[in-house]
Amino acid sequence: MAIQEMSEQASPGGASTLLGAAGRSVRSGLSIVLRTNSGRIGFAIVMIHLILAVFGPWLAPYSPTEFDSEDLKIRLTGPSTDHWLGTDQFGRDVLSRVVSGARSIIWISFVGTALGITLGTIVGMTSGYIGGKVDQIIMRGVDILLAFPGLLLALLVINIGAQRINMELWPSKESWLVIITIGIAFMPNNSRVIRSAALAIKPLEFVQSARLRGESSAYIIFREILPNIIPVVAVEASIRVSFALLLTAGLGFLGLGVQPPTPDWGLMVSESRQHLSTAPWAATSPALAMASLVIAVNLLTDGVRQAVRLPSSQEI
Amino acid sequence: MTQSLTPEEPLLDVDGLAVTFYTPRGDVRAVRDLSFEIRRGEVLGLVGESGCGKSTAAYAIMGYLPGITRVEGSILFEGRDITQMGDSDLRELRGNRIAMVYQDPATSLNPSMRIGPQVEEALREHLDLDKNQVRERTVELFESVRLADPETIGRRYPHQLSGGMQQRVVIAIALACDPHLLIMDEPTTGLDVTTEATILDLVVELKDRVNAGILFVSHNLGVIARVADRVAVMYAGEAVEQAPVRELFKNPSHPYTAGLVSCCPRPPGDDGIERELSSIPGSVLDAGLEREQACLFAPRCPLAQEACTTQAPRMKEVDGHLTRCLLSEDVDASIWGEAQERQKELAPEEPVPVLKAEGLRKFYGRNRKKYMFFGPSVRRPVRALMDVDMTVGAGRTLGVVGESGSGKSTAARAIVGLIPKNGGTLELRGQDLEARVQHRTEEQRAAMRMVFQNPTASLNPKLPIRHSIIRALRKFAGLSRGESRTRAEELLEAVGLEPSYLDRPPSELSGGQQQRVALAGAFAASPDLIVADEAVSSLDVSVQAQVLNLLEQHQLESGNSYVFITHDLGVVRYVSDDILVLYAGHVAEYGPSEAVLSVPSHPYTEALLSAAPVPDPDAEPAHIRLEGSVPTLRAAFTGCFFAGRCPRKIGDICDTTPPPRQTGTDEGHEIYCHIPLAELSELQTDAPTRDVVATTAN
Repeated sequence: MAIQEMSEQASPGGASTLLGAAGRSVRSGLSIVLRTNSGRIGFAIVMIHLILAVFGPWLAPYSPTEFDSEDLKIRLTGPSTDHWLGTDQFGRDVLSRVVSGARSIIWISFVGTALGITLGTIVGMTSGYIGGKVDQIIMRGVDILLAFPGLLLALLVINIGAQRINMELWPSKESWLVIITIGIAFMPNNSRVIRSAALAIKPLEFVQSARLRGESSAYIIFREILPNIIPVVAVEASIRVSFALLLTAGLGFLGLGVQPPTPDWGLMVSESRQHLSTAPWAATSPALAMASLVIAVNLLTDGVRQAVRLPSSQEI
Repeated sequence: MTQSLTPEEPLLDVDGLAVTFYTPRGDVRAVRDLSFEIRRGEVLGLVGESGCGKSTAAYAIMGYLPGITRVEGSILFEGRDITQMGDSDLRELRGNRIAMVYQDPATSLNPSMRIGPQVEEALREHLDLDKNQVRERTVELFESVRLADPETIGRRYPHQLSGGMQQRVVIAIALACDPHLLIMDEPTTGLDVTTEATILDLVVELKDRVNAGILFVSHNLGVIARVADRVAVMYAGEAVEQAPVRELFKNPSHPYTAGLVSCCPRPPGDDGIERELSSIPGSVLDAGLEREQACLFAPRCPLAQEACTTQAPRMKEVDGHLTRCLLSEDVDASIWGEAQERQKELAPEEPVPVLKAEGLRKFYGRNRKKYMFFGPSVRRPVRALMDVDMTVGAGRTLGVVGESGSGKSTAARAIVGLIPKNGGTLELRGQDLEARVQHRTEEQRAAMRMVFQNPTASLNPKLPIRHSIIRALRKFAGLSRGESRTRAEELLEAVGLEPSYLDRPPSELSGGQQQRVALAGAFAASPDLIVADEAVSSLDVSVQAQVLNLLEQHQLESGNSYVFITHDLGVVRYVSDDILVLYAGHVAEYGPSEAVLSVPSHPYTEALLSAAPVPDPDAEPAHIRLEGSVPTLRAAFTGCFFAGRCPRKIGDICDTTPPPRQTGTDEGHEIYCHIPLAELSELQTDAPTRDVVATTAN
């Protein structure tokens, strides 16, 4: 009882301590994220990557795609004052390529995650709120999607997409195909998490009283329930971003993502791995960039999770 | 044991206790200044509203405070200061010399252990007994808390026991090592009235049998009146009054105590005049605030004078009371308004009732065949409502009572259409109602609104409070955005809240304020009928009175009707014109409230009435007691639905024939019982004493 009284006073949200942090503006949410150490460090590194993603091509000392074909002497040279991270097998500056490569991977994985989370949230909330047979049917569909191996799904989408879609897209057709792949791959897991969050809100009295007012299901789902599960969505999204980064890099490595000569970290690792013993800088630099980004995103996720006070959850 | 105390010496001496929690959101002064003593064989009742610090005080005595806390003052237990003790000393005390009984028996017992070993655990931890002695002592303990079958009951798991039996087991564990001090923190709050009454009987009996001091923490004055010898009243972390129980109730010397006593709905006095409930305005002082040189109760006190805001009163002795009031001489029952006779005008009977339900049925689940390997061969649906009839006239209030599991809430939800009925008819002003709310017309939805039990959950925590009110206004009254805002402000004012509250999030409001916002939302559409499902149950008494008065006032002004669902007989007596008593989904008794509440009544109504705690220490405890809990009915049965627990069962006829409907002398009074009414009233006028032993539920 004392503990109850305490926690009630500590968080005047009563029943919704779990969701206590939501409803505040994004800015105050960020300020709470920055109160934790992991949030601060993660945020700083992610910001560096974001700056590179936006301004990378202008910051890079050389053009990322420029071949020094006339003078192939500088192929695979080690780090020097001219080329801080050395050059690759075509004599391109590795630092410039790493710096410019941030853009495609961050773009693809952020938009891909957003797509997956949006789809998952809509499917999960609808399925959870409506319930009954509709819920059963939707969730079994989700199960089928879950049973697909991720890579197979990616091959399927990218192959079909590459053959069927003939229009020019910005920034490239391949990047959109990877985005769609990520979206489809993330939707099932996400919809399950969101569904269970929606199920926890559904029996609450304010939802009942909205039903008694004769509100439509769509209104109840998006206006009454959604604001209450934003924290769950936020944590889910930040977890998923690091998976999206890894998936994007993996697809790039397999040659399924962005096509050369556009700089892409996965692709760079793949292209320079045969020179790994003679020129380790060419493969490790993009790999380290990748690692630092994933770790930073994970740290930031940790901060977000603490901010919304969700228990640290294992993968579902 | 170590020390022997003379009866004069206090067992527990709490002096100037103050507990502050340090939280990320600032300091919480849960207890500011509390002093009391408990002697052996004495029950001290600690009473106050939620947030007044009574539970924190109880935990401080156990040395169980969570988080980062600062404790000031001293807690002397048998001469040793608990606040100065180390962990190992405390562990030696807890469970052994000081034992605690918590609010929720279901969570105090380990669900995966049989109850016998759970009692033995406590014995082995602190006493040096061999295996057989432990076993014998366990049986003795089960016997002493009046559990049936003490020899074998230890083989059961907690889920096989009813709530009341679980609480008896918890008490048995607490008594295991003959504690010198027993702390009971709201031990009956989660239980039904009928079970509560049996547990209170046990506490009263233990008081004489066990030579221990008991600290009994409760928010319920009725419960305190029944068990306590002396009472300490707490307000905002301070003890404001302390006195022997009779003195306190008869002659309160602190305005807060006087207010609490007059807030409780109680049976009409000897003069037969029913009085209006008074209420204490405002809400409890924020525990985050620093103490200023002022009386903490002054902002809510009708007597407050300038002196009250400039100096902090100290505890002083006045006619045997300890009181913290500068003006204690002026305090009497009338300071909260002269007791007024209640205006109860009944609206003229209209030919068409507002709501009419006939043969209402609701089953949960459906017939199921056996699963492949497990479970019973056929699983039938739960019969939550069986052929319930009710009529609500215009401007009248129908009170629906029963224990938990009796189908009250199901009835409410079926009426408003949140859960579809399985049979029977519902009519609103003569029009047939669809089973589901989404199939009803907009007018029907507007005419019937609902207020829920939990005010915190009935407002969306992420939206400002204007949302639900304005939404109802725009949907039902067809007002424009601007008009609905103006109207919403009026509605808030009508329920006694500032119009500026409209833009606040619900979390900034207290429970009582949230409930008033919910009421404003319900009033918004000028409904004919408001279904209130335990609408005041989660509120403190002072706030409960505010809300009850608000409901009544609205009824007088707009002539709407209520279906008022509650387990609290005091409340139902106060608000109802008609009463429906439900048991296991069946109507036990139905009729005008005076007829239902007076002799003759159904044995179940009688049991409920005699179990209800009355805030009067001199009230004679009635002797009808029910054990067990409401059965879950899955199959049709032949006899009377109440036969399994009926204290007045007359024989085989109860098990074999459904009870006939008997019509009482008052118009519309129906009792479903085999005992002829004349005999029933004879039985009930000379209440026999009945020894109760807890029996297995179902």
